[in-house]
Amino acid sequence: MTMIEVKDLHKSYGKLEVLKGISCDIDASQVVCVIGPSGSGKSTFLRCLNLLESITSGTVIINGHDLSDRKLNTSAVRQDVGMVFQQFNLFPHMKVLENIMIAPVKVAKKPKAVTREKALELLDKVGLASKADVYPSALSGGQQQRVAIARALAMDPTVMLFDEPTSALDPETVGDVLQVMKQLAEEGMTMVVVSHEMGFAREVADRVIFMDGGVIVEDGDPAEIFDHPKEARTQAFLSRVS
Amino acid sequence: MTWYLGDLIPYIPLLLQGLWISIYISVLSFVVGSVLGLFAYLAKVGRFRVLRSISGAYIEVVRNVPLLVVLYLIYFGLTQFGVNLDPLWSTLIALTINNGAYVAEILRAGFESVPKGLREAAHALGMNGSQTFRYAILVPGIRNVFPAMTNQFILLFLFSSVASVIALPELTNQLLRVNSETLRTFEVFTVGALLYYVVSSVLAIGSRVGEKRLFRW
Amino acid sequence: MVNDFLQFLPALAKGAGTTAILCIVAAVGGSILGLIIGLMRSSSWAVVRWISAIYTNFLRGIPLLIILLFTYFALPLLVPGAIFSQMVSGAIGLTLFVSAYIGEVVRGSIEAVPKGQFEAAEALGMNFAQKFRFVIMPQAMRVIVPPWVGIILAMIKDSSLVSVIGLVELTQAGKIVGTNTMQPLVAFIIVGAVYFVICYPLGHFGRWYEKRLKASGFNVAHQATATDILDEEPGVRVGGNQ
Repeated sequence: MTMIEVKDLHKSYGKLEVLKGISCDIDASQVVCVIGPSGSGKSTFLRCLNLLESITSGTVIINGHDLSDRKLNTSAVRQDVGMVFQQFNLFPHMKVLENIMIAPVKVAKKPKAVTREKALELLDKVGLASKADVYPSALSGGQQQRVAIARALAMDPTVMLFDEPTSALDPETVGDVLQVMKQLAEEGMTMVVVSHEMGFAREVADRVIFMDGGVIVEDGDPAEIFDHPKEARTQAFLSRVS
Repeated sequence: MTWYLGDLIPYIPLLLQGLWISIYISVLSFVVGSVLGLFAYLAKVGRFRVLRSISGAYIEVVRNVPLLVVLYLIYFGLTQFGVNLDPLWSTLIALTINNGAYVAEILRAGFESVPKGLREAAHALGMNGSQTFRYAILVPGIRNVFPAMTNQFILLFLFSSVASVIALPELTNQLLRVNSETLRTFEVFTVGALLYYVVSSVLAIGSRVGEKRLFRW
Repeated sequence: MVNDFLQFLPALAKGAGTTAILCIVAAVGGSILGLIIGLMRSSSWAVVRWISAIYTNFLRGIPLLIILLFTYFALPLLVPGAIFSQMVSGAIGLTLFVSAYIGEVVRGSIEAVPKGQFEAAEALGMNFAQKFRFVIMPQAMRVIVPPWVGIILAMIKDSSLVSVIGLVELTQAGKIVGTNTMQPLVAFIIVGAVYFVICYPLGHFGRWYEKRLKASGFNVAHQATATDILDEEPGVRVGGNQ
């Protein structure tokens, strides 16, 4: 079933058009990697999917929510679509467990006891069960990012968005985070990942989208895109980063 | 020229009294002024354009006009309307008005400098405006604001000396009095400077300690 | 009313002129002195560093009024038979006061220069003077403008305190005119307006410059504050000067 439907998505900041007509459909449980040079609009595209960026024109329907609907309950969409940021963005004044629990309790109004159990489970799943009672500042970048993933998962989203999740990490910790993401993919989560980690894309992604200059240049199988890119721009980009 | 502190000894109670008044007016104006500053800040970032303009004008005017002029306006200027405020009230009002504008600016800077990412993370989790503020912005914002506020209090305390010109018997005023009575100018002003310095240093160190204790994260 | 205006103006203008002279002298003197004090903080001799630290901490920890009273009443006693004029005392006192704040800002701007620059300069064999003249200070000067403007702005307002030792600068002129015409409100409103007209654009310039700097990726050296007493690192707080 189609989880995300994007038709002719345009996004402009004033006169500057950043997304020039993006169209793609993403099925449930698909793992899509979006690659491309900086300024290609890939992060903007991702952020349109949970309305952190407003849509200038076009349609985006994500798990049944029509993002161009004026009467849309933005909060409901965001509770359904989880996001992991490049800079983690954990709440520094809350301990790890509270970071994970705050949204389910205060936004989704779930009972505290149940949420607490679930949070501890998620923490265990990302390999940080012992860190429930510490502040984010005591954790390494990779650990913080894993907590951020747990925090997003705590809301039971149907889609997970990753905006360059490992770009701000030391190389040693990148692996831990990718491992968690791989596990998530194997469990069937629908994921859209903007990343430079070509290895991850090759291994885990079902599909790779190459963006440049605000449009989708090429879209297909990881093996096809990496080994037999059709477009000149794709070839140029890949030869520069490999 | 000889240095002799002995002449000052009988005046110690007077100086301490002056110090007490300096501290007392500083604390009072700081507290009331901060409340005023909070309202000014809320008005400035609020929804109503009229309130935004009024508070904006208040903040800009007070920050660009010397405290002494504001004090004179209240103490001397209002007599044109037949309003005669005594030195204490004039000082309290002037310091309060002055402090309010700076506190409003401190609040603005403190909350604006909370990293945008925290706001986005809160939004991404589905939080609405007030939830975002309450859970993601408020506490980090207060952490930014704290050192600036303690610094502001220290500055207010130091500038409370301005009240000496309208004969309020705070510390500087008492120093002038002791100077004229003992003519031990060097000693008097050195002692006075040290009194101010000790108080401001204690406050600064206290602020540092407080910051470490309150914001353990 | 118009008549009163005309009565006021010459006296106030003269006061403004006195304020201008006072401020220019203190700005130039205080900046030069502050520069030296700030540079002393980078000395390899602990004594020099300590002198600079005590100087800036002490002068920022006492009221300007005390400094002015001291320079007017006490300082002349050191020189037998000397009397400082009000302008001279005021200029000296204001200069000393400003130099302490500028010293701290200079220190902050030097510390904002990446350590690698110091090492590169030293590796090339430069001594203290060459290092600072060719490598460090040009970089430090870029980020120093906004806090320096802030200090000068505060100084212009603080110059009003020199009226306490009797100098007929703008504020004192206002007081005299106000008393003579029995319209102190009008007099002080005009005086306040003059200060506003000078300070407001200056403040805007400082803020504009700071925005420009931030856009090119520089972190502005923050204004020195009274809570920096125990600092080994630069004070990084917003300064609120009266």
